[in-house]
Amino acid sequence: MAKTMDKVDVVVVGAGAAGSVYAAVLAEAGRSVLVLERGVERRLQDLYSSQIWARRLKWGSPHVVEDGPDSIWYNFNAGHGFGGAAIHHYAVWPRYHPEDFELASRYGKGLDWPLDYGALRPWYDLVQSDVGMAGDAQQEVWRPQGEPYPLPPVLVSNHGRVLARGFERLGMRTAPIPMAVLTQPYKGRPACIWDGWCDAGCPTGALANPLVVYLPRAQQAGARLQGKAHVTRVLLDDAGKRVAGVEYFTTDGERVVQPADAVVLCAFTVENSRVLLNSATAAHPQGLANRSGTVGRYLMSHPALSVFGSFEEDMQNYLGATGGQLLCQEAFAKTGDPQGAFGSRQWEIGLALKPNDLLGIAMSRPDIWGQALHQFMREGARGLGSMVGVCEDQPLAENRIALADRKDRFGMPLARVTYRTSDEGRKLWQTATREGVALFKAAGAKEAWHGPQAGQHIMGGTIMGADPARSVLNGNAQSHDIPNLFVGGPSVFPTSSSVNSTFTAHAVAMKSAHYMVKHWGEVRA
Amino acid sequence: MAINRRDFIQRGLGGVSLALAFDIGGGVFLLTPGEARAQAVALRNLGAAEAAGLERLADALLPGAAAAGVTHFIDHQLGVDPDACLLIAKYFQVPPPYADFYRTGLAECERLARQESPQGLAGLGEEALQSLIMAIGKPGTKTAEGFDLSLFYLCLRSDAVDVVYGTPAGFEKLNVPYMAHIVPPEGWNG
Repeated sequence: MAKTMDKVDVVVVGAGAAGSVYAAVLAEAGRSVLVLERGVERRLQDLYSSQIWARRLKWGSPHVVEDGPDSIWYNFNAGHGFGGAAIHHYAVWPRYHPEDFELASRYGKGLDWPLDYGALRPWYDLVQSDVGMAGDAQQEVWRPQGEPYPLPPVLVSNHGRVLARGFERLGMRTAPIPMAVLTQPYKGRPACIWDGWCDAGCPTGALANPLVVYLPRAQQAGARLQGKAHVTRVLLDDAGKRVAGVEYFTTDGERVVQPADAVVLCAFTVENSRVLLNSATAAHPQGLANRSGTVGRYLMSHPALSVFGSFEEDMQNYLGATGGQLLCQEAFAKTGDPQGAFGSRQWEIGLALKPNDLLGIAMSRPDIWGQALHQFMREGARGLGSMVGVCEDQPLAENRIALADRKDRFGMPLARVTYRTSDEGRKLWQTATREGVALFKAAGAKEAWHGPQAGQHIMGGTIMGADPARSVLNGNAQSHDIPNLFVGGPSVFPTSSSVNSTFTAHAVAMKSAHYMVKHWGEVRA
Repeated sequence: MAINRRDFIQRGLGGVSLALAFDIGGGVFLLTPGEARAQAVALRNLGAAEAAGLERLADALLPGAAAAGVTHFIDHQLGVDPDACLLIAKYFQVPPPYADFYRTGLAECERLARQESPQGLAGLGEEALQSLIMAIGKPGTKTAEGFDLSLFYLCLRSDAVDVVYGTPAGFEKLNVPYMAHIVPPEGWNG
């Protein structure tokens, strides 16, 4: 027997980047909002400066079964608890470019979005003003049109200066990396001190995570946040045509029904599809919002690589932000790859390094061990340089999220992910490996090398599209099938571009949330 | 020294070393992994032979890891919920419970070692141990059953790096400023 709660206007599932935006906008418009988050109630004082402790912020359970040839690195990319993945994200916030929204119509590749850059631009501008972004719009020559950054650029240490030398020598431009990190005090939040603890979560408020921007706004406007609420299904009304609320389990195993006039799923890429697929009914045997059969499909992940080099100079590689100091989008043209691969690339240059962890000094050379590793650590702490290349992935229907046979402790099937990097993405990655090493050598590296292919950012699964027969959501991130069901986060992206996804996830959520406010009568009708 | 939860939190927030919270004789004791090893604190998840093998391997991967308490760190974290677990294995999509991963990896290394010495890892000479590490560290190395030995190498090496270099004391060895906003608490189980 389930416990039934009092009805609210809107249930938001997930307290991460998109969920916090929806909660703030809807609550400020007078809606009663309940945010259900499966993780813990995280506070700023929980964000210890340690790469070891940082692992508590990343996904652990329920396990996501990955059985394809490539990994999307779900646990590393996802988060749990208040703030979600955005609590440990690196705040590198470039915008999607206009062509990213029109791949099919412009190039005959991939998919089109049901909106263009012009439709999203004001929402990028609004979010940028809310969070306080740092950058140099003029020097960032590739940047799409938009309001200038409200704050001056991020720190460039010797690390950035030395690596920029390589780009300059090969005729490639760099610009300060656009970052949602404060370079000056802004709206009551302090400036960054460039200590490189972004991955461990920023407790000072300098980095724009949900705990310091949109969740406080939501709560001040009356939204309620509830942790340890494991949402398993979106529930329909008796007619089976409209959402009536959600079902969730408490950590103690109590089943609860939360009625609502509208539901916004913002549980991150894999969980959004998992919940919809698990919400199947007799009238919706393929899962909710899935008349098209596309829920779970078009899963994407940026093929990424780390490039490393050893330098004579003291690189000051412990300074700065985890996401880097400089950006290069010289390879953003979709048809510019020397091998003919379709898609864009970007470089994030001069990442702040720590000795340990996945992106740390030791992991840059996993083949070294024994006493040689001590020597490498000493040398790397002074002279190691690093940058990350991000490549575009193509949306492939066969890359998908489905339900596994195994179940979690609440009886909900685990998610099973089948993913293979697109051929275009793999070729772009190969080009990037050669270019990255050449850039480091041009910068003066004694030795330069690159790491293996990794998956950065996770997109797709509940994509937007103009055609209800081939997509899950319309241009307002609203279900084609069920008008009071919305979805937020990078799962709604039909294309991946090669830029970090969090800024665009914010902008789309902001646009959609304002649509809900403006059309609330229709949404709840 | 037995402490209560309040002491634990106060000491943790002010401390700069890393210690585990051990339940011993009904009291909570804060010890660094190295201290726990030196005091022979009982392990909770790994058997004695598993612990000995793990320590041998980890100390070969990064000399000093044994003394820094890598075995007690891993053993402690094998008992923690996956969401809160601090082992890097979870970044590599290792399915929980992570104890299965470590047990299988250690058993495979023992099996390989016994091909050279009847005593297994404990009896392996330095040269043979190096050969074993080179074999399991080769990317893509898997057992006949599909267990990824190279991933086990990667995780164990990273665990060793964590206890030796991932702490404020470890940063100091490298002359890297720690610059903590919030100094990590001493107890790894929060």
